Amino acid sequence: MRRLRAWFSRLSALLGKEARERELSAEMDSHLQLHIEDNLRAGMTLAQARREAIMKLGGVEQAKENYRERRGLPFLETLFQDLRYGLRMLAKNPGFTATAVLTLALGIGVNTAIFSIVNAVILRPLPYKDSSRMVTFNVKTAMFPAFNLQPTWPAFQAIRTQASSVEQAVASWETDRTLTGTGQPAVLDVAGVSDSFFESLGAHPAFGRLLADQDQNSSQDHVAVLSAALWRSRFASSPSAIGKKLILDNQVYTVVGVAAEGFAYPVRAEVWVPIPLSSEIAQNPTFFSVNVLAKLRKGASLESLQAELAVISQQLEQELEKQKPNLKGGYKLTAETLLDSRVQDSRKGYLVLWAAATLVLLIACANLTSLLLARGLARHREMAMRAALGASPRRLRRQVLVESCSLAMLGGWAGVSVAAAGIQVFRAVAPPDTARLNEVSMDWTLLWFALGCSLLSGLLAGLAPARRAARLSPNELFKQGTGAGGANPSRFGSALVAIEVALAFILLTGSTLMTQTLANLLYQNPGFRTDHLLTFDLPQPPNWNEKEADTRAESQIARLQQIIADVGRLPGVEDLAASNLGVLNGIYFSHAGIKLEGVPAEKAEISEGIVSRYLSPGYFRMLGVPLRRGREFEGSDTRPANRVAIVNEAMAQKYWGTLDVVGKRISISTDAKGNPEWNEIVGVSANVRDLNIQEEPRPEYFLALFQWGVFSHHLVVRTRTNPDALTDTISRQIWASFPDQPLTHVMTMTRTIADTVGDQRMHAALLAVFAFLGLSVALLGVYGVVSYSVARRTQEIGVRMALGAVRGDVLRMILQQGLTLVSLGAGIGTVGAFGATRVLASELYGVTPTDPRSFLAVIILMLIIGCIACWFPARRAMQVDPLVALRYE
Amino acid sequence: MGDKAADKKDVWQGTLALMVLKTLQAMGPQHGYGIARRIEQTSGDLLAVNYGTLYPALLKLEQEGYISSEWGVSDNNRKAKYYKLTRAGRKQLNKEEREWEQTTAILARFLAPGEESS
Repeated sequence: MRRLRAWFSRLSALLGKEARERELSAEMDSHLQLHIEDNLRAGMTLAQARREAIMKLGGVEQAKENYRERRGLPFLETLFQDLRYGLRMLAKNPGFTATAVLTLALGIGVNTAIFSIVNAVILRPLPYKDSSRMVTFNVKTAMFPAFNLQPTWPAFQAIRTQASSVEQAVASWETDRTLTGTGQPAVLDVAGVSDSFFESLGAHPAFGRLLADQDQNSSQDHVAVLSAALWRSRFASSPSAIGKKLILDNQVYTVVGVAAEGFAYPVRAEVWVPIPLSSEIAQNPTFFSVNVLAKLRKGASLESLQAELAVISQQLEQELEKQKPNLKGGYKLTAETLLDSRVQDSRKGYLVLWAAATLVLLIACANLTSLLLARGLARHREMAMRAALGASPRRLRRQVLVESCSLAMLGGWAGVSVAAAGIQVFRAVAPPDTARLNEVSMDWTLLWFALGCSLLSGLLAGLAPARRAARLSPNELFKQGTGAGGANPSRFGSALVAIEVALAFILLTGSTLMTQTLANLLYQNPGFRTDHLLTFDLPQPPNWNEKEADTRAESQIARLQQIIADVGRLPGVEDLAASNLGVLNGIYFSHAGIKLEGVPAEKAEISEGIVSRYLSPGYFRMLGVPLRRGREFEGSDTRPANRVAIVNEAMAQKYWGTLDVVGKRISISTDAKGNPEWNEIVGVSANVRDLNIQEEPRPEYFLALFQWGVFSHHLVVRTRTNPDALTDTISRQIWASFPDQPLTHVMTMTRTIADTVGDQRMHAALLAVFAFLGLSVALLGVYGVVSYSVARRTQEIGVRMALGAVRGDVLRMILQQGLTLVSLGAGIGTVGAFGATRVLASELYGVTPTDPRSFLAVIILMLIIGCIACWFPARRAMQVDPLVALRYE
Repeated sequence: MGDKAADKKDVWQGTLALMVLKTLQAMGPQHGYGIARRIEQTSGDLLAVNYGTLYPALLKLEQEGYISSEWGVSDNNRKAKYYKLTRAGRKQLNKEEREWEQTTAILARFLAPGEESS
């Protein structure tokens, strides 16, 4: 306590210095006076009295200095001195300061930005109450070994009742349902939920009421709750929405309430409806699509839950075997935290990004170190003088560290704006479904991190220069001349810059390769004409009832044919066709039990999945895909006539070994007796990359859309002008005849292709940013080193010019020095890049990791920019006036 | 200046502080010079006190709240800064006195010729 009081007193003594000094002087004077008087009384002369008094005091100044040390906090006071001096020095050298601050701003800024992103996505807990205790569940079963599944409804019940580690659990099942009856038909994300869903989540309604337990049991009046966003967009937030009827997939629901703004579980749900326990879904033990969210009891651990789940898994497996004995396979129910389930996949990617950003920061620090070292040489006389005047090595070291930290803090301050810009860039280029993207923003942690980062960088960068300063002895003062030239240039500093250049080279090479990959992907010809194409889905209502399948198929086909005719008549439409599923979205259907006629026996029955599509007549013509043999589907290919098929080149070659397969047959179904139903092949189409751009075309077969009932329809329209402009017209035309037909996923083909390369685009963009930063920083380093070398060699240059060197010679000399540095760095960088780009190998397309053209381009770029970086100092060197230079001693 | 010297300085400063407190208790309020003079006398002139070290010690005691200071006038009409003991100082003095007595008593048993053969 007493010590604390003392500390406070010393701290406050830093203020009001003058008054205290006066008081100290007064007290010393008074002491001496009293002592002198006593001495006089003892008989000494005035002179003796004075001398004795001063000697007993131990010297006035010494006594005062001891007092001062006790009074204030000497450490702080000298620190302030150093700080003031350091800032003055920085102000005197604006060029140096600006270079250093800029470098650090880039390094610290980008690091802060990445940290902010990593913090928001991976480190911070989710923004739900008690989110650290929330878990979700996964199922792995031998029935579908390739998939990560979710629990079934019976599994959910078991978890809820038997897992004692779990306090509460809710289940939801999200699906798309067609909304008709109010306004434009649309497809809504509907979540079917368990009882006590809203209660367990602690949700409150924004209007009306939320689902209650009694809603689970009623069999006639289905009720629904809207999301706040849906209420706004479809009902204009009007209270009259309550009581309105929604028709979802031909079933009537009455709206009873609206969820609170910001309530988003499941994340994209727009409507919540209850799932009664009696419904099929709730009874089905193989419906592995239920999303279960549970909260752990306080004190229960994830491990205890996993143990309980193991027991439940066994139980469920036994029950499953009883009910469906032909479905065998291990059943494994596991839990993971909600945070993990959301971000696990992206964790690695972000951490790699952070590593790259740290690399850029290290480059910046290296830059600062080399700049400080270079400048240190110019100031070594000043430092030696200070050492001679009594500064301890610790003090000298501290001076340098204070300067480097001040620079770093200035850089950090500027870096905050860089960080803000960086976060904006990230939000712009990240694919929209990036986990927790909406939580990435600027907040106070940014500033704290920038502060910490700056301090660390300053200390790190200042280490080597500080050590060198501390080793200076006063003998340096007596050494003649500051620079007999580059006899011992700051080798360490130059080496650092060379390494910086190498690192920047690696980043630049990687970026070039990624950008090329992106370009290659975007310009890859998928095998069909991609211009002026507008595509959209026409979702069909799901058919759970097998008996009605045929009649529904007929009405579906009639509707589609009508739509095609109607839309085809529109003036902006050049051509159109239909299929069951769009291209380039990575999804495909395949049938089981495909049989081929006319192939060697071992290939006749196919077990692997082959891509299949259902096409309307004229599809290939419209897309500009040539036919190698035979014909397209025609209008005459309708049910119940002979069913026909088309195969692509790849399929023909792979299974029949020839393109002449017209007339052969393929079967994808069996009749009631189990005999194969055959479809005759009428044509062979050219290969098309219709799953994704990167893959080689696979074997595919096509069936006639008008001969089958399918789950969805997809329209592809070739427009005469801008495809986007036609969206409204087409929609209205379709709704004129079929007001309850929703249109979804309206896209142009160019946008679809751009989306498929979303990941590559983000990587290329980010890598380009880092490469640019790294390059800037490294070249600033080159500029700095060459600059200071010129400054120190002023005398030498003067001598040379006096001895007859021309401006050109001087220019060559300086450029040589700078370019040697850059070349050395490029050389090291080339070797490093050879190894480093292998990391990217899996992401590349159309270029090899050691693509010689890219490497050459980067080398040339670095040399050119290196020249530019050297040009300014070189110009200064050329302008040296020999007379002035020689005058400097 | 090695560690040993620093230790000695600390011990010396601690002892000096105690002497100052005791002096102020005995003499009442006194100025710096007077305290220094008195300490010399009390120690029987065995201690050659460097008066310059007294003032930092006085400052420390003041910072810790054991003494307080105020400007006054001496007998010869000289302005001087007088120091006096605070209540906390009194308590601290008593405490340290007791501790010293204890220490010396224990040491005495060790250092005095005792029953155990040595």
